[in-house]
Amino acid sequence: MNASYHDGEPAVVTAALTGGVHGKEANPNLPETPAEIGEAAAACELAGASVVHLHARRENGERAFSTDRFQQVADAVREATDDVILQHSTGGTAAPEDRRIEPLRTDPPPEMASLDMGPLNRYDHLTSENTRAFVDRLHGEMRERGITPELEVFNDGHLNETLAFLDRADTTDPPYLNLIFGGGTTSPPSPRRLLAHLDDVPDRAEVNVIGFGPHQLPVTTTSLLVGGHARVGLEDNCYYRRGEPATSNAQLVERTAEIAEQLGRPVATTAETRSILGL
Amino acid sequence: MAECPHLEYRETAGEQTFETARAYCAVADEFVQPMRADICTGRYGLAPSEDCEIYREAAADR
Ligand code: SF4
Repeated sequence: MNASYHDGEPAVVTAALTGGVHGKEANPNLPETPAEIGEAAAACELAGASVVHLHARRENGERAFSTDRFQQVADAVREATDDVILQHSTGGTAAPEDRRIEPLRTDPPPEMASLDMGPLNRYDHLTSENTRAFVDRLHGEMRERGITPELEVFNDGHLNETLAFLDRADTTDPPYLNLIFGGGTTSPPSPRRLLAHLDDVPDRAEVNVIGFGPHQLPVTTTSLLVGGHARVGLEDNCYYRRGEPATSNAQLVERTAEIAEQLGRPVATTAETRSILGL
Repeated sequence: MAECPHLEYRETAGEQTFETARAYCAVADEFVQPMRADICTGRYGLAPSEDCEIYREAAADR
């Protein structure tokens, strides 16, 4: 990637509304039911998000992977929003691989889906393996269904995996990489580390950035400065600032949209996002 | 082991209240994350005695 805020290119803002790790026990404003997720998506679209990253939950907040439940979520989001781009998660620590493919099988399929590029640890005893064979299997099904993958790069090792994947896979152009910063298996969070990652990203790629917890604002803002895109939302961060829980996903999107505009990066419309990402 | 013996479903604990009862760990004394609830319920072949550090520490302390 070879851009900066100087170019004034539109910034794609993605809202990660729900996630698959924590829930309302962490922040009661996190949407879990299809109706809540639809409502949150509509508010985020109004605030400037052109993409919504979606997970599904059971009524009690526990994780759901079935096509049926994703269909309910997707229907609620389409009903509540104008033209927002749906991105289904295919992540799912400990869930069987056949389950993790199910979110791709809604009708219509989502325009985008996440693709985790390698293993990551959860808690003390779990690992989401994401073997190369499974990455290729998920990717194959995405391409059959016309779904654009967002390549989830949790650390430097995943960046190597991604470069090798781009060599072997017949994937979309431009490739869309999502660089992830935080604790655990993710890249250690710092603007400097983000810049170092960018040195290894192919020039033709578009880059999105996630920062978990208190790192959300600093690393997504750095991304906007260097010509990248930004993902924010309660999946990645439950707080607006230290000690102050976020009141909604839209509150986080609004702040990032405002920062982008202030930095000379107009917030991408859904049409611009489709053009930038080749959807 | 299927479901963890420490698992309860509660609507209220302390100051937290939910419309639908959620997974609550009687050892940690708190509502558990949805991802961890898959261990508590023994879903996907997960087992508290293998996969949950809270269960294992509680068992070791006994
Ligand atoms: S968190 Fe661990 S100890 Fe607590 S209920 Fe779940 S499996 Fe059991």
